[in-house]
Formats: sequence, structure tokens, C-alpha cells
Amino acid sequence: MKRNRKREQLRFGTVTKSLVVCICIATSGLGYVWQKNTIYRLGDEIKKRETALSSANKRNLMLAAQMAHLESPAQLEAECQQYNLSLVAPKENQVVRLYEPGPEWDMQMANAPLPAQFQQQTLGSQPKTLAKR
Amino acid sequence: MTLAPQKGRALIVIGALASVFLALGFRLFDLHILQHKELSALAQANREQVVHQQGRRGAILDANGNLLANSLSVRIVTADATITAPQAASIAEKLAPLLKTDVESLTEKLSGQSHYVRLNPRAKLDEDTVQKVRAMKLKGISFEDQFIRSYPNGPLGSHVIGFVNSEHMGVQGIEASMDDYLEGQAGYEIIEHDRKGHEIRALRDEELGPRDGFNVVLTVDQVIQHVAEQELDKAMVEFKPQAGVIIISRPKTGEILAMSSRPTFDPTNMDAASADARRNRCISDVAEPGSTFKIVVCSGALNEGIVSLADQFDCENGAFMYAGRILHDAHPYGVLSVEEILFHSSNIGAAKVGLRMGPARLAEYIRRYGFGHKTDIALPGEVSGIAHPLARWNSLSITRIPMGHEIAVTPLQMLMAMNTIANGGMRMKPMIVKSIVDQDGTPVLQYEPQQVGQVVSPRTCMLMTTALRKVVGPDGTAPKAGVPGFDVAGKTGTAQKVENGQYVRKYYSSFIGYFPASDPQISILVSLDDPSGGAFYGGSVAGPVFREVAEKVAEYLGIEPQTQQPPQAEVAKLS
Repeated sequence: MKRNRKREQLRFGTVTKSLVVCICIATSGLGYVWQKNTIYRLGDEIKKRETALSSANKRNLMLAAQMAHLESPAQLEAECQQYNLSLVAPKENQVVRLYEPGPEWDMQMANAPLPAQFQQQTLGSQPKTLAKR
Repeated sequence: MTLAPQKGRALIVIGALASVFLALGFRLFDLHILQHKELSALAQANREQVVHQQGRRGAILDANGNLLANSLSVRIVTADATITAPQAASIAEKLAPLLKTDVESLTEKLSGQSHYVRLNPRAKLDEDTVQKVRAMKLKGISFEDQFIRSYPNGPLGSHVIGFVNSEHMGVQGIEASMDDYLEGQAGYEIIEHDRKGHEIRALRDEELGPRDGFNVVLTVDQVIQHVAEQELDKAMVEFKPQAGVIIISRPKTGEILAMSSRPTFDPTNMDAASADARRNRCISDVAEPGSTFKIVVCSGALNEGIVSLADQFDCENGAFMYAGRILHDAHPYGVLSVEEILFHSSNIGAAKVGLRMGPARLAEYIRRYGFGHKTDIALPGEVSGIAHPLARWNSLSITRIPMGHEIAVTPLQMLMAMNTIANGGMRMKPMIVKSIVDQDGTPVLQYEPQQVGQVVSPRTCMLMTTALRKVVGPDGTAPKAGVPGFDVAGKTGTAQKVENGQYVRKYYSSFIGYFPASDPQISILVSLDDPSGGAFYGGSVAGPVFREVAEKVAEYLGIEPQTQQPPQAEVAKLS
């Protein structure tokens, strides 16, 4: 006995399942395409940045060489002469030499008595005169 | 029975179609199965490409990190002349101003028959120019990346730095000796490209990036090197010698701060550099040291306790007969103390000190000071010098070697001997490479000063310094070498040249000194080969050059002037 399929009501579960399956397949397909597209797009982006980085590195090297040339003693002397800068090395009497105190000085200072105004203060407290300033 | 012909036709059509499909099937089988290997390789080759990438050669830096040599990546414009030939003239007109060349030579290159012509093998193209050329979309014109070696200081320190050949391999100097560190490692990429030849980055298969070479940091200071070269150039103009050298070092560590040699060359223009100019005379030329060698015999004799500074020798009024030959002094002297023998530079006095010392002990001190052996400085082309073994000495040797004859040394060997005295008797290995660093500046290899051995005692060195101080005094052989404000110790040398086995009236004029004598910071050797114009004594030719160099180096390094003589009583006691 044949059933009349036209009159038969669509089952919700079946339709939902079919839709879910279709959506999954469509999403997977679109997702795959989107991912592939993204991979290619990012690949192009990486390539562009690689090229830019390479160019920047090359330019950096070129500029470093230019800077080294400009900083070379011969070049600096030539520039000084060209612009008549009259630059000369300082004479010994124009030089003020500052000596870095060594460990001996530290020991000497550690054992030296404190000046009177600091003797009342404990370590960590701030002198009032300094605080006012 | 009308179906029979139709069936027959149908069978023919089916048969024909089947045959076609069979043929196609066979062809497919042939392409996919039988010829699979060859064709898949062909297909892969069509879309895949192996791109080799050259690692950049490392840089050479001075002690303060200033760039002395570097590799630059430049674009070379290349052309397929078979494509450009029909329009050679118009392409040349467009490219000539950008490539900074003339139209005629460019037209000639573009109209040839070669598939590969370099249009700018030497000129550096910046990115803007490359973009301009690219925008012209000229057929048959393409670009290629290439490394070139750049020397920003030109000829400065060229003998130390050296140069590379066309294959970017070190040939001389540090470029050659440190080639293993400087050389970069090549890398490769397996890429796939589209129809236009552009890489499809997403399909990059394998990738091994190139590794840039390490940077080499020298002990040389470019400012001190410049001072040395400038003063050497002035001396070359003033005294017109055939050649000249100046070496500046730190006696306590053996660090070489400058090493200059004339004639010189420009590593950026190697076509103009002769083989003679390329030679680093500081390490590859030997000559008799002359009177500078007296420091060896006198320090040896003092160290052995055979003589004291006050011991006196008869200098025979300038002519001393020994083993049938007469030995002369430049000026006649009577009785001189050992100290006076040094600062008057008496040949007869030195010979008599040598005689008292004896050949075996003298030979031992020559060996201890390192003569006859390479110093093992990290530069190629160093020679050992000539120091004959004791067995080959003749009866005259004991009187000739103390005055610097019958022995040949390099300027560097002689400076290291003087450094030994300046350094309290400890011989140091000369050091020209400070460290090897990677591209970020992180040290890969650090070189430390190396002691070779104690040659003489510190006491002997103090006595020697006392005597050598007087060399630059008013009674010494080099008053012009004195540096105002500093106590300088040094020794002059005026060695006759030997040509065709005979001494001729040509001289090596030299001065080796260190300062401040009480605490030596710097030692300098100046040597000029055959100065002309009358003056030839080491004190009057090399001495003033030494002073000029010393003054400038002291100023630059901020060495505090302190003319401080050791207490005479203490010296007398040691003596």
C-alpha cells in the first residue's frame, strides 16, 4: 500500500539534521576557502614585510658605512679645514683631570668621623637643612 | 532487418570512440605512470625554484667599535642583450643618467649578443634608483643582488685590514687571517612561483636562512692609526725614504694600537695597488736592526750579573781590532760605562759587553727575546727573521751581533723586544684581534693578553729604563725624540743596508721608545728605509717622528704628563 508522501508532514528532526549537515558542509567548504585565502593573503603580507625588512637592512648597512666614512678621522679633519673651524686638541693646562676614587679612598672615608652636623642623625633620616631646600 | 546497418554504424562509432578513449587512456597511462618520474620533475621545476642566499661577510671594527670594513648588498642591473639589442639606444638613453654612466658604452653593452650583461658592476644603486628603473618596465632588464666589500676609511690601516678578492674571500690582512669567522654561511629557500614569476609565499617548502659572518674587533684604534699614518706620510715627504713603518702598542698587554706601512694601497681601488705597496713591512720585511739590538746584549748581561750599569769598558777611541777586522764607532769614545754605551750607542762598547757575556749566553737571550721565530700575530705573511744558530756563528759574530749585525729582524719583533723591557721583563704575544662578536655584538670569542715568558728580571728592566731614558737626554743619541712633559725611554738604530752582499751607504733609521718610562703605557717604533737629504741617524730622522706621534697619542689617550725620575740613590743601589 502506497503512502501519499505529499500529504505526509515534514519531520522537524529530519529537516534540522539535513540543515545542520548542509550548514556544516557549507561552513567547512567556505571555511576552507577562507582559510586558504587567508594563508595566501598572509603569505603575501609576510613576503612584503620580508622584502621591506631586507631593504631596510640593506639601507641600514649602507648608512652605517656612510656614517663610518663621515666619522673617519681623515674626513673630520678635512671638514674642519674646509669650514675653517680651527679645532685643536686641548693643551695640558686646559685639561681638568678627575680621579675616580678607588677602594682605598672608600675605606678611608668609611673610617673617617662624620662632620658635626651629621653626627646626631641616624642613617636613613634626611637632614632638615637639605629637606628645606 | 533494417537494424543491421544501424547496428553496424553504431558499432563503428562505438569502436571509433572506444579507440579514441583507449588512445587517450593509453596516453594518460603513459604520462602518469610510464613517464611519471621525468614529467613530475619537469612540472616541479616549472613551478618550484631553489633560491640560494649568500650570507653577508662580517664587519671589521676597531677597538672602539668603529667600522673599518663592511659588506654592502647592492643591486646590479643586468640585461639580456639579445632582447635589448633592437632598442639599445633608447634604453641606454633612459638608463645612463640613473646608472651614472655614458650612453655610448651602455648602448654597446645593450646591443651585444650576450644573455647576461652587468650594466653597473661597480656603482652602488640605492633603492630609489632601483624603483625608477623598475617603473620603466624595460624588456630584457632585470636586477641581481650582490655583496661588495666597503672600506669606509679608504686606505687607513689597509695593511692590517687587508682586502678580499672578487669571490669575496680574504686575501690579505685580517680579511685573510680571520676569513673563517668573517665568512657567512649560505642559505636556501625552495619556493613556488606564479605565472609572473612572483613567489607564492604560502607554498614555500623549505627554508634555511643564511647566517651572516661574525664581526672581528681589533685592538687597533682608528684615531691612533690615523695619527701614525699622518706622521708617516709627513716623514715620507720630509725624508723621502724608500719605505717606512710605524707601530704603536701597549707594552703591558701586547695590544697593537696602530700598524702602518709605506708605500700603501687603497683596498677600494685594488687595480692601482702594486705588490710592493700591498706588503705589510711591519711583519714581512726583515733587516739588520742596528743599534736598537744593543738592548738585547746589555739587558742580557745585566740580567746575568755579568756587568752593572756603572761597569766601564774601553771603547778604543772608535777603532777596535778583533779577529783581524776593525770595528768602528760613529764617534770615537774612550772609556764608557754600560749606561753610556747604551745612550751613546757605542758599537765597540756593545761588542765588549757581548764578549764578556759569551756566545752561548748571548744566543740564549736572542732566543728568549723571540728573534728567529714568528711572533704569531694574527696576520698572514709574517716571517721569522734570521737568527743563526750558535753553531753557525763565526769568530766575528760575538762582536757583530751585539750591535745588530749578522741578524735580521722584523720591525714587530724589535718592538716586542723593547716592550719586554717596558713590561718588567715579561714578553707578551702581540695582539691585534680583541674579540669575535656576532651581529648583535655578543662576544663569541674573547682574546686575552698572552704572556710568552719572563726574559729578564724586573730589576734589569729598571736599570735598562734608567739608561734608555738618557738616550733622549741632551747627551743621548736622540734628544729630538724627547716628549715635553713625559719621561721617555728609547733606543736609536742606524743600520747600514746590505746590497749584493756588501754594506752600502744606505741606512735604516729607527727609533723605538716607550713612555711614561716609570709606568709605560705606550711604545712606538718608527723606522725609515733609506732616508735621503743628508740626515740618516735614527735620532735625527726617526726621533722627531716618534715625538710627534707620541705627543698626539698621549693627548688622545689622555695620558697624564709626569716627568718623574726614579730616585738616583735607588738606581745606584740596584746598580
